[in-house]
Amino acid sequence: MYGRKASRLVKELTNVEKGQLTLFNSDLFDQVIAECSQHYVELQSLIRKMQEKGLDVQTSKNEDHYGALIHHLALVRNKRCLMAYLYNRAETLRNLIWKVGLVLPQEVQEKLSHSEEEYFKRHSASLKSYMSRLDLDLVVDMVPPKDPYIQVRVVDNIGEGIVLSDDKTANFAPYSMHFLKRTDAEPFISRGLMEELTG
Amino acid sequence: MASGDGEGEGSVSGDIDDLESLISTTDVERLKRAWRQEKAAPEIFQFEAALIQRIKEQIQLMEETVEDFAESGIDPLTVSLYQMDLDRTQFLLRSYLRIRLQKIEKYMFHILNTDELFNRLSREEKSFAERCSNDLKMHLDENILSKLPDNYQSLLKQSIISEETDMVPKPQLDTFVVCKTKYYLGHIQLEDINNGNTDDRVNQRPLEEPFEMEPNVLYFVRYKPIKKLVEGGKIDLY
Repeated sequence: MYGRKASRLVKELTNVEKGQLTLFNSDLFDQVIAECSQHYVELQSLIRKMQEKGLDVQTSKNEDHYGALIHHLALVRNKRCLMAYLYNRAETLRNLIWKVGLVLPQEVQEKLSHSEEEYFKRHSASLKSYMSRLDLDLVVDMVPPKDPYIQVRVVDNIGEGIVLSDDKTANFAPYSMHFLKRTDAEPFISRGLMEELTG
Repeated sequence: MASGDGEGEGSVSGDIDDLESLISTTDVERLKRAWRQEKAAPEIFQFEAALIQRIKEQIQLMEETVEDFAESGIDPLTVSLYQMDLDRTQFLLRSYLRIRLQKIEKYMFHILNTDELFNRLSREEKSFAERCSNDLKMHLDENILSKLPDNYQSLLKQSIISEETDMVPKPQLDTFVVCKTKYYLGHIQLEDINNGNTDDRVNQRPLEEPFEMEPNVLYFVRYKPIKKLVEGGKIDLY
């Protein structure tokens, strides 16, 4: 049936929670693209048939006209599905920057097609260039600040000698606790390397 | 904020009025309003260029003050209060710019195609919008559009026979917003009179009473009919 594969492709978007990504289904994706070309071949052959009979393609409403219309509509629908698939995945990727910062987590990267990885790099570069023109980092300070300092615990290996904004270095050994400026700690928290201790 | 020494009871209420009007006109308060509007509205507003410029200067000044205080050994509690004030302003600024970028990302093709919207962006936002849409266009071109038959390769139209740009995501202007006004506003037309199909009079609903807004009362209405009043600063979104 026409359009079934395309609808399966779009359903993959809705099968996961918003903001999550599934593995890029390049197999199904290519099949839908191939289906589009097939529709076009059939569409053209029907139009040729009408022209051979000497009929006006625009005005004669015979069976070939409606056949061609079906192929046209199926093609347009496939196009919309393909675009929706890629567009929504791209949107999820862009929104991820606002949640986890400009470094893509490994488990997300594995789900992307090569082209999507390239897109993410280009988009991050565009965003970085905007931020450097303003001289302002917009990927920190995501929640309204209650206190300029917060208590955090290191939960993963970060490494030594990290320089903080007051030009002092700190040794973030795993499971050590620190009292840091919120803006210093936020990038680590969003990458899952530190957790905020509340209460 | 330093207030004058009390000069007798008579002036107290006057001082409070002064203080209130002073607070409501500070740049931070203006930024807060712009931020709230931007956060609540479905579409992007005019960039507050002058205000943002002033805010940035003030932030820099505050940063220097805090640094000076810290160096000259002023009570750490005082310093941290200044720091907190600074952090809050910085959050507002970042969040304001962020919300705008997110709107640009979401509706980039629509904004680039609509001069009225594109002209609302700052210079940096304009170049971001252009780069951003080029990136996405390239991505979609490479993977889909270039592989489709000739008449179906447009990014903005479904096919060559589409009369308008029917592939462009646009903001939902019909959405509901919470709003309030300082003025009395009468005769707001909530129905779309222009879009109504004049031919089918049978289905036409009788026009609703014109909508009125009382000062300082919260309303929950569709954004579209009050759009012009919001843009004109008569109505505030919450």
